[in-house]
Amino acid sequence: MLLEVTELTKAFRDTMAVDHISCTLGNGVYGLLGVNGAGKTTFMRMLCTLLLPDSGAIRWEGSDIFSMGGAYRKLLGYLPQDFGYYPDFTIQDYLLYIASIKGLRPAYAKKHAEQLLQQVGLWDIRKQKMKKLSGGMKRRAGIAQAMLNDPQILILDEPTAGLDPRERIRFRNLISEIADKRLVLLSTHIVSDIEYIAGEILLMKDGKLTLTGTTQELTASMPEQVWRCTVQREQLDHYLQHYQVSNIRNTADGVELRILSASCPMAEAVPEPATLEDVFLYHFGEKAGADHDIL
Amino acid sequence: MIFYEIKKTVSRTGGRIALGLLLFTLAVSCFLAVRVYYVNEEGAREYGYSAVQKLRAAQKEWAGVLDEERLQAAFQENIRIRHSPEALSEDITENNIAFSRLQGIFEIRSLINESYAEGFRSYDYYLADRLTSVNAADFYQNRVRLLREWLETDAKDQFTEAEKAWLIRQYEELDTPFFYDYVKGWRRAMEYFPTLVMLAVMILGYLVAGIFSCEYQSKAEAVFFASAYGRSRAVSAKVKAGLLTVTGIYWALAGCYSAFVLAFLGADGASCPVQADRGGWKCFYHLTMGQAYVLVLLGGYLGCLFLSGLTMLVSAKTRSSVAAVMVPFGAVFLPSFLSFIQHPLMNHILVLLPNRLLDMGSTLGYFYLYPVGGQLHGAVPLLLILYTALSLVLYPMQYVEYRRLSKK
Repeated sequence: MLLEVTELTKAFRDTMAVDHISCTLGNGVYGLLGVNGAGKTTFMRMLCTLLLPDSGAIRWEGSDIFSMGGAYRKLLGYLPQDFGYYPDFTIQDYLLYIASIKGLRPAYAKKHAEQLLQQVGLWDIRKQKMKKLSGGMKRRAGIAQAMLNDPQILILDEPTAGLDPRERIRFRNLISEIADKRLVLLSTHIVSDIEYIAGEILLMKDGKLTLTGTTQELTASMPEQVWRCTVQREQLDHYLQHYQVSNIRNTADGVELRILSASCPMAEAVPEPATLEDVFLYHFGEKAGADHDIL
Repeated sequence: MIFYEIKKTVSRTGGRIALGLLLFTLAVSCFLAVRVYYVNEEGAREYGYSAVQKLRAAQKEWAGVLDEERLQAAFQENIRIRHSPEALSEDITENNIAFSRLQGIFEIRSLINESYAEGFRSYDYYLADRLTSVNAADFYQNRVRLLREWLETDAKDQFTEAEKAWLIRQYEELDTPFFYDYVKGWRRAMEYFPTLVMLAVMILGYLVAGIFSCEYQSKAEAVFFASAYGRSRAVSAKVKAGLLTVTGIYWALAGCYSAFVLAFLGADGASCPVQADRGGWKCFYHLTMGQAYVLVLLGGYLGCLFLSGLTMLVSAKTRSSVAAVMVPFGAVFLPSFLSFIQHPLMNHILVLLPNRLLDMGSTLGYFYLYPVGGQLHGAVPLLLILYTALSLVLYPMQYVEYRRLSKK
């Protein structure tokens, strides 16, 4: 089962949101990593047939997904970034409604919705209205709706945005649980979300896939070395101006820095193994820090 | 799917308030429609079911074929009552006692005022009291004569010769003498129904305005359109939900209203021609009271169906409930502003606007003729055909339009 993306392009006026993307996705969890505005949502919306590409093709098992229409969407589960719901519906009603528009038989839908509600921990509050749920609960309801038709392709756009750390961990575990025997594409700009669960990471920048591979492959491919060193506070500005600094920590001796540099920034600097965060910083530079919850 | 679409509509707080308002309006309309009084022998007003029964019994005494004999008898009875000491007294209570005796023939007296009027457009409430004698044989012919005179004088430029001839023929073809009966139930039901249906069309518009736009307003459209049936059955479920909401609520409302009013006031006189009631004396359509009421109900339904369909189409096209909900308001109020433009063509157009469907009782009284297919027609059949056809087009258009939105 393969989802093949070939030279996919989409522009909005003068902005190239998706720029000649090509990739092949099979079973497994894929993490789509990029800063806000990198084109992740546009790419995912095209995968969900919500946007028509300007050029290029998306094929599922060799068939064009836009020609497949409803048959393709039967295989699809989608949790959008800006997940909308019907505020006056109870969680159960919401899931049963989504089940009906996904073409599930009522008896099966009821049974499966019950299972999913238990799996996402919403069974006890299934009669509660959607508008009364917390952000985390809504996201869990969102993942449950995406899973209703037991999709072969599960697309989750920024599923952890706005969640507190505990909810994020719970969410990651949930996705790991359901990721078996299906294609899961998970977009985020939060590195830690996919570091643990994604088998393969797609790094997206300015509408292009700049790098793909496993965490190890990505870190190994980084041409720069990671250094740990401690500097005096008055020297901090100098290092920030001249190096990419992925972490700053105050210590009793001064400020401990994590620096990305091809050459050793100072004599006392110690080489460190690179992480996905370092790769992210390397590729996105200053943009990576534009969002406070980026790493 | 349809069940959940309807649930989306009525589960909103606004939806529940709208339904509550509709029930309140229904209760008020029913109350006003059956608020009929009877003046008793002491000259005091009585209200309630017993009053209705007394009035009904009084008027039923005069029920029958309204021939020369019955007309003459009613006329003489009116003279007798008007010349009674109670009627001539300066005391209001005494006058009311006289009126109490008049109630049985009151409707026939009104028809006499119409028939023996000076002109087609004039009505003198006291005419029957002033007349010393009437030639009952002229009663039905006067109706045609007054029309003919009006068409030759005041209205001579309003109609073509063919239209004039057609109107006169319609008048002449009325079966006379017709059957007269107590028709208060039908008349009051027709009188108060337009208020109810006008409010209903706005509330229905409010309810269905969100059927399509709610997906965008709640940002649920991505999940909706990405689902297997999101561009086919789920869209048609929305169309059907709108249709069912309008149909269900309208007929429940119309059914409750009609059942209550007709049960309270009585459904007597269903087979009387509309001309047997003062309000329909000039009507050129040949309909019984029962048929006219069915027409009022059908017109109301068609009006609600069309305007709600238009509301849903705007909702599907603009993705905005606010823009959509303006449709029924505009349809109800805009013609009132347009009516200030005095032009024959404008008048002909105004009578064909959908708001006329909501007040079919009044539309039956309009003298606007339309040549269609080589024949002349009044506004009523054209309204029914035109808006049935438009409604049949509107609902499939919603489906097409909303599906179109799914692809960008």
